[in-house]
Amino acid sequence: MKSKFYIALIAMFLMASIINASARAAPVRKKLAVKAGSIITISGADIKNGTILIEDGIIKAVGKNVEIPWDAFVIEAKDRVIMPGFVLAHTSSGLDRANENIPEVPFLSTFDSVDPVSFYFEDSLRDGVVAILVLPGNNTLLGGTGTVVRPHGLTVEDMLIKPYTGLKISLRPTGNTSRMGHMQRFRRYMSDLKDYLEEYEQRKADAEEEKKPFDEEIDPRKQAMVDLLNKKLTAFIYCDNAADVLKAIEIHEKHKFNTVLVLSPACYKAAPLIAQKKLPVILPSQLIIWETNEETNEEEMKVVPMIFYKAGVKFAFQTDTSQYGSRYLWYQAATAVRHGMKRTDALKSITLYPAQFIGVSDRLGTIQVGKEATFLFLTSDPLDAQAWVDKVMIAGEIVYEKEKDKRLEKLLEKPEEIQKPKDTD
Amino acid sequence: MKACVILLSFLLLMPASAEEGQPEITAVKAGKILTISGAPIADGIILIKDGKITDIGTGIEIPENAFVIDAGQKIVMPGLVDASAVPPVRGDLNEQSEEITPTFRISTALDSQSKALKRMVQTGITTLYVSPGLRNVIAGLGAVIKPTGKTPEEMIIKEDAALMVVMSMDSAYGNRIPRSQPPYNFYYRRPTTRMAIIWMLRKNFFDTQEYAKSNEKDDPDLEILASALDDKIPVRLNVRRAINIRTALKLAEEYDFQLILDECTEGYKVAKEIAEKKIPVILGPFYYYPRNLGQYEGRDINWNNAGILTKAGVKVALTSGAQTQSIDLLTAAAFAVRHGMPQDEALKAVTITPAEILGVVDKVGTLEKGKDADILILSGDPLKVTTRIEQVILNGKTVYKAERGRKL
Repeated sequence: MKSKFYIALIAMFLMASIINASARAAPVRKKLAVKAGSIITISGADIKNGTILIEDGIIKAVGKNVEIPWDAFVIEAKDRVIMPGFVLAHTSSGLDRANENIPEVPFLSTFDSVDPVSFYFEDSLRDGVVAILVLPGNNTLLGGTGTVVRPHGLTVEDMLIKPYTGLKISLRPTGNTSRMGHMQRFRRYMSDLKDYLEEYEQRKADAEEEKKPFDEEIDPRKQAMVDLLNKKLTAFIYCDNAADVLKAIEIHEKHKFNTVLVLSPACYKAAPLIAQKKLPVILPSQLIIWETNEETNEEEMKVVPMIFYKAGVKFAFQTDTSQYGSRYLWYQAATAVRHGMKRTDALKSITLYPAQFIGVSDRLGTIQVGKEATFLFLTSDPLDAQAWVDKVMIAGEIVYEKEKDKRLEKLLEKPEEIQKPKDTD
Repeated sequence: MKACVILLSFLLLMPASAEEGQPEITAVKAGKILTISGAPIADGIILIKDGKITDIGTGIEIPENAFVIDAGQKIVMPGLVDASAVPPVRGDLNEQSEEITPTFRISTALDSQSKALKRMVQTGITTLYVSPGLRNVIAGLGAVIKPTGKTPEEMIIKEDAALMVVMSMDSAYGNRIPRSQPPYNFYYRRPTTRMAIIWMLRKNFFDTQEYAKSNEKDDPDLEILASALDDKIPVRLNVRRAINIRTALKLAEEYDFQLILDECTEGYKVAKEIAEKKIPVILGPFYYYPRNLGQYEGRDINWNNAGILTKAGVKVALTSGAQTQSIDLLTAAAFAVRHGMPQDEALKAVTITPAEILGVVDKVGTLEKGKDADILILSGDPLKVTTRIEQVILNGKTVYKAERGRKL
């Protein structure tokens, strides 16, 4: 009886928070119909000249012959390609500092550090990213928990899609630690945690036996790790080389974590093993590396996504801000397609798969009935360097328009305007 | 026994002679040939002999003994020219003993076994310009080379291609004044300011003018500078900010040398002046935001720098920018188009234009009769990022073939 009451209470609370959230991202119009030149649904075949019907920010219908209700506001996008917004399953950008200098800080959260006015989020929205899992960096053994945000909003609360998502574990030793010491530190932490939990359970059992109320809570500093063991959190384990992957698998199997591997380029050698263990992978932003063939002394190009693709590993792409293309998820996918990846799989690796890895695929990642109306209006094919994100719709609301993007306009200033005299120093 | 030895040696020689016996004419057939110099040729044929293109066009008769490379419906274009590449040199590129080193030649330090060269070939670069580093005011002489050959001599196609001069803050950045203690560190030296860099340049050009008037001809440094002032060697000035570009234009007028602007990040602000003076520009690495350029050089950025300069009538070459490992020139061209450069201009900016600026357009940069047979076979449109380089032919020889799995 009591438990039912609690469930009802929780449900009410959840409802309230959902209503609250949808009120924040409330569409201007309740009913929308988007008439698109082409729809890349990801979940099924592409639709030419299709219509998407949206009600309260949720997709109600997708298809060629969708009847548009009389009271729906129609958005004409005949010359646009519509596809789900890109999802980035791992980044440490948008934080002031990504790594705490103490190795065991699972109780920290990026929620406290995400900087809404960071350029990074502005760029992300411009580049068509609609959900980002911000995790602590790769230099801390137990780095803390992550936050899924949309790159739109003035506060972290506004940006929030899903709090408390994923816990970062890095197997790269930092400072003066060796790999041996690093692993030993992890094992000691886990055995201490186990002892603590046993003692806790004992105290709980004792209290029950003595019929005393037991109100001791789990040590908040250990809560995240306990949630990891209970599979309430997913472990994002960073591996710096192929040997680290073996360690990650050892940890995964021993503690029965929900695991996602975050890899460096050198980890490609472990691809068959990862495939065998069926672990999801987040690829490094550097997709092409060079190696000297010991026999021929020739330089060989290693295309990291192709090695994982051929091995049958499910992966998501990652970006960085250093180079031409690797800052764009579409470019990462195009690079894989260039070297032989199937287009549909490459597109899934920047939409559906990352959404699954970070647990938001019930809302994002595809254009399907029941999902959130969060998608991109592109000027042409997503894998073409000449395609621009023209508009971004998040939950039925247009939150980005290229023609109103002042900074982009400045960065691509027209020659005529440049020639006007101005401060040129 | 003797016969046996002869037979054996004959057998051993067999493969070698078979290789020598390869037909001396190679023919490349392709669905579309982008010559760059003229209109694209549909269903064209290129004939190659001794590493040179002997004929190009449609309906050319292929000699019976020719070795035929059939590219099917794929696209063929000239090998890429990187006017600012990673030099194949082991060791530092910045000389620490002096700031003015015009006699230093990069060609004396080339390492033909360099890994960077082997990688570059696979990204389609068949001609590249390399030069000493940017930490000296007059850094030395750059060279145009090909990523092939066993010795530096075989690699070089133009030895003294340009005199590298650095006017950006790179040549002063971090320098400290030599105080009382002996200068044990690279940084205890001059110049330390932008003013001093330009003063040093002026002084050296002035000295050269005086030297040219005198009868004494015994200073190798000034000899090089004199030939630069005589327009025998172009002066390649590394500049980024508009203020420096203007100074560079002024200096070129004052001392009357042949100027090439290097990097030119804020070139878009001075596009009109650069165009009027007919100064070519070799762009540096692409930056998304000024902060990537550091506090001294990063001020403003325009993603469409290449497009604006081109539209103003400036000859613009796109490069990999030497500093990065992202040496994919076709990607650079595709992004230049994304940011506003016309498509045909972007393709020229990685082929014919750098060849012209480097003074090697008689040999490379286009697919024309008499030129070196540096040819790329692509899986599709060169400006699509999903297009891959399938085969690279350098001096008539296939030097790279993409791994199998996708049909060539």
